[in-house]
Amino acid sequence: MSAYRADEDYDYLFKLVLIGDSGVGKSNLLSRFTRNEFNLESKSTIGVEFATRSIRVDDKIVKAQIWDTAGQERYRAITSAYYRGAVGALLVYDVTRHVTFENVERWLKELRDHTDANIVIMFVGNKADLRHLRAVSTEDAKAFAERENTYFMETSALESLNVENAFTEVLTQIYHVVSRKALDIGDDPAALPKGETINVKDDVSAVKKVGCCSV
Amino acid sequence: MYQTHSQREFAIEFQPQIHILRPSIHSRRANIVVKFQDLYGFTVEGNVDDVNILNEVREKVRQQGRVWWALEASKGANWYLQPQVSSLTEGIALKSSLKLSNLTNAITLKRLIRKGIPPVLRPKVWFSLSGAAKKKSTVPESYYSDLTKAVEGKVTAATKQIDHDLPRTFPGHPWLDTPEGHSALRRVLVGYSFRDSDVGYCQGLNYVAALLLLVMKTEEDAFWMLAVLLENVLVSDCYTNNLSGCHVEQRVFQDLLVKKCPRIATQLEELEFDVSLVATEWFLCLFSKSLPSEVGLPLSLSCALSLS
Repeated sequence: MSAYRADEDYDYLFKLVLIGDSGVGKSNLLSRFTRNEFNLESKSTIGVEFATRSIRVDDKIVKAQIWDTAGQERYRAITSAYYRGAVGALLVYDVTRHVTFENVERWLKELRDHTDANIVIMFVGNKADLRHLRAVSTEDAKAFAERENTYFMETSALESLNVENAFTEVLTQIYHVVSRKALDIGDDPAALPKGETINVKDDVSAVKKVGCCSV
Repeated sequence: MYQTHSQREFAIEFQPQIHILRPSIHSRRANIVVKFQDLYGFTVEGNVDDVNILNEVREKVRQQGRVWWALEASKGANWYLQPQVSSLTEGIALKSSLKLSNLTNAITLKRLIRKGIPPVLRPKVWFSLSGAAKKKSTVPESYYSDLTKAVEGKVTAATKQIDHDLPRTFPGHPWLDTPEGHSALRRVLVGYSFRDSDVGYCQGLNYVAALLLLVMKTEEDAFWMLAVLLENVLVSDCYTNNLSGCHVEQRVFQDLLVKKCPRIATQLEELEFDVSLVATEWFLCLFSKSLPSEVGLPLSLSCALSLS
């Protein structure tokens, strides 16, 4: 499942976005998952950065194109293109800074305003290795995730704890949504609820779309 | 303490001479990554091709330096700082400067700036031609030390974000990433955040201010350069709350791309790729994060100063 594969060899391409306050560790989650690297001396992100990695789900190769951006509030104004076509999101907070947890509601609203309703969201409490500094309890975060109907995991990019799981879970869930939808429509398009059109192309804009920006 | 730190030179003096880097035959063959320290103390990593490009740039800067020295010899030292000459570059046509010699000097200066300013002259030329010197001269001598003293110990959203970004600005730099470097950068950024509360602090300014500290050598001059860039030289509202100036820059850039590089623009459009996703960082950091320090900020300022 975790094999790193050649870039062009994939069945699905899913765009994921990383969001959350400045300094919660988005860039290090990205580098841990895509390059298995952690950088103690990382620079603050300005604008947008990308990275990709392919994993195997069932018998298919799923390529994740992951976008990372600046966390400061004013950058939200320039990121509508950032969300376009995203089918999954990791909403990250820092378990040692309560304020980053308080802000997730606003991030969630931002996400829901800009993306498809079917987007798969993973709520991520990062820096779980800093046990003695913990300021957000697992229970509180879990309750929030349940209330908001998102997935939840605590991670440590530094210790490589759950990072793989968090991304893989999101990608697997998206894959299930996509394959189920393709199946539903293929079998019996009339079975769709009346008045609701599911546009596979829009919904899963990422399927097999090749472009230079897919890094 | 406050009286002194703006005046003194930074502890780290960077080698003003530029050496040509010679990759060995072995590294050329194996395409090994070359690692070296650049003019402003940054570690640059690149393959042999990258090093060759940087060498070419350095050679051009060196040649430009000779032109500057030759002009100093013929026109006198600091000829470019005379108000009749520099005011023309600021677009202010003074009656007295309509003399042909002044006009020629101003045109020569514009052309020279566009081709690059030698590193040793950058502090002086930037400070004067950007208008930073003039801006500083309109306030009491003690403005900067008073400001830093007055805001000491205050906590705002801006100071919190600044504190968060100090160690993440140019980690590993031999001076910036020391307690002394962090404090200097902090004073400049916090001071500015109180000077203009509409801007406060915007991520990206940390990179610009850090490089200004390295180029300008004194903290106070770096502060005034930052002020003049944000208030007079760059597109206005680049860094304010909704980054509206930055939006404008992106639109202009997209239009320019269509006009100057139509094939690239068409290709990007077919891919539905929004260039602002990558260009935002270039403009907000004045290329200081995406290009080597010897090239990025100097290039941006040369363009800005020769256009203004």
